[in-house]
Amino acid sequence: MKAYWRLTWAQLLLFARNKNTIIWSLILPVFMMLALGTFLGNGGTSQFQLKVAVADQDDTDRSRSVIEKLSATEGLEVKEISRDKGLSQLKKGDADILVVLRQGLGERLAAAGKETDGNGQPFVQLYMDQSNPTVSQVGSTVIQEAVDRLNKEAVAYQPPVETEEINIQTRPLGYIDFLVPGILSLMIMSNNLNGVAATIASWRERGILRRMQGTPLKSSTFIAGQITARVLLNGLQAVAVLLVGYFIFDVHVYGSWLLLLLFILLGTLTFMSIGFIIASLARTPESAAPIAGLVSFPMIFVGGIFFPLRDLPGLLQPLVKAIPIGYLTDALRAVMNEGVALPQLWLPAAVLTAWLIVSFTVAALTFRWDVK
Amino acid sequence: MIRVNHLVKRYGETRVVDDVGFEVAEGEVFGLLGPNGAGKTTTMEMIEGLRRPDSGEIRLFGVDAVRHPAKVKELIGVQLQSTALFDHLTTEESILLYGSFYQEMRPVEELLAAFNLQEKRKTLVKHLSGGQRQRLAIALAVVHGPRVIFLDEPTTGLDPKARRDLWEIIQRLKEEGKTLFLSTHYMEEAEYLCDRVAIMNAGQVIALDTPTGLIRKLGSDSIVEFAAERNAADAQLRQLEGVKEVKQSEEGVILLLTDDLRGTLSGLISLADQAGLALNGLRTRTATLEDVFLERTGKRLTDA
Repeated sequence: MKAYWRLTWAQLLLFARNKNTIIWSLILPVFMMLALGTFLGNGGTSQFQLKVAVADQDDTDRSRSVIEKLSATEGLEVKEISRDKGLSQLKKGDADILVVLRQGLGERLAAAGKETDGNGQPFVQLYMDQSNPTVSQVGSTVIQEAVDRLNKEAVAYQPPVETEEINIQTRPLGYIDFLVPGILSLMIMSNNLNGVAATIASWRERGILRRMQGTPLKSSTFIAGQITARVLLNGLQAVAVLLVGYFIFDVHVYGSWLLLLLFILLGTLTFMSIGFIIASLARTPESAAPIAGLVSFPMIFVGGIFFPLRDLPGLLQPLVKAIPIGYLTDALRAVMNEGVALPQLWLPAAVLTAWLIVSFTVAALTFRWDVK
Repeated sequence: MIRVNHLVKRYGETRVVDDVGFEVAEGEVFGLLGPNGAGKTTTMEMIEGLRRPDSGEIRLFGVDAVRHPAKVKELIGVQLQSTALFDHLTTEESILLYGSFYQEMRPVEELLAAFNLQEKRKTLVKHLSGGQRQRLAIALAVVHGPRVIFLDEPTTGLDPKARRDLWEIIQRLKEEGKTLFLSTHYMEEAEYLCDRVAIMNAGQVIALDTPTGLIRKLGSDSIVEFAAERNAADAQLRQLEGVKEVKQSEEGVILLLTDDLRGTLSGLISLADQAGLALNGLRTRTATLEDVFLERTGKRLTDA
């Protein structure tokens, strides 16, 4: 027991004194979150920004009030431009949508109350790229709503029934909410798989393990100390990432913290075991780190860390379903973003546990103190 | 205390340790002397329970160390050839860590004082000098107060001052009544420290006695050395007064083993006059373990 605590403590001291640990396990994930969260998450506060170019050919009080209303709409970045310039910007992707307010719009609206023919005329034209479904759907909805309001005002329309929107979330989910659990998952994998493989292989090569073998220390005690220290380190990292996520990007954990920690633990143990296996199987210590990199690098892409798994080509799906990283990412995401409870997460929990049992067994069987 | 019989270890076809046997008594300093690759480390590591012998018997304190390596580990202290310590732990932290592996441990203060490391208590291992590191390695070997201590080439790579310091420490451990089992490829070290020396070459023990006993067995107590370009007048050299044996090392140095230094030298001078020998680098010295090794293997310890 004494040896177990001393080994755990020694490993924590080694973590704290190693610049690489600090950089790779604390600064890098936070930096990654800040960088990706800021660029891809659009500052993190508003998850969707639509660049709207408006060509006002009418130039009346009415048309100007349309532009004002659009500018006031959240999520729209409105700028006035001529029709031709607007079209070329749209083609270059500098604008998402071009709205043309055609001449006669103001007149038509002013006349709307008096004339009764009621036939709608296309005084408002929308140009957009329909191959981008998000932009075209959201864009047309937003603009149509604005035009709808204009029409209703013009005819002094009184709606008999109103809808009331009640927000149950502090903020809709955005890319950053997707990203934070992904980064947690990435950290758990790289710290443990790559970290364990490199450390153990180098300790073995330098004879540190052999020196321990010359004492009554049991390998199980040694491994238990490693596990404890790494679980503590990963817990600390997870808390750091979650705190940065909460305070800078307003990312919440909607589910149970306990369940989140359980999955972090499960992931840590699984990837540590795989790290031990790689450390044992690598023929030379120099090859352990590259092998670990070779195993973990593709997992970054097929692990659903930066983009959803369903976006991957169908060819890769069987692979995705066989390896543990995607399950870990999904589970962390489900707990954090959707507040899902354990019963609905039985599949990732079961797959990770199965991986843990198998890899731990192999790790225990292949563990060697010695180089040969 | 330690008994080894017919010990064999093979790597592939080669017998790295080939039928080695000896006994070590309590309180003795026992040395394995031999060149690199002679099988010293492998022999030691088999006794320490770090490697399984292919055949043979090892008994420590009457316990069968081959079948029960775990039982033996509490009783022995080891220092391995490559001093493998955690660079980012301090001296004190290293002692506490290794001490925790045993049921009992000596107080940290006492160990720091015994190995003259008090001032380095809070220093990271990576900032220690070679000598300090080696003293720490031996401190870790005795952290639990074992009766037998194994030191594998404890002074290799140290400067002369650090080596002297370490010899002093080893002598002190001996005075405390510890049994010491050490390997070295420095013959002065074996001569100075060891009560008995087993000379190893190519996996076999080729001689085993006290250092003086080994030298005495040469039958000559002095050596005359000089350089010669060609194999000069071998037969004539052999007939010089007192000469027991003539050896020529690979660098062309001729050695005369003699028990009558005065007679050999005067004969050699007259022979040199007659045969026109230069006698470059002529010197005389008393015989050492190095000469024993040369006599037995035809090689110098340092060349081998």
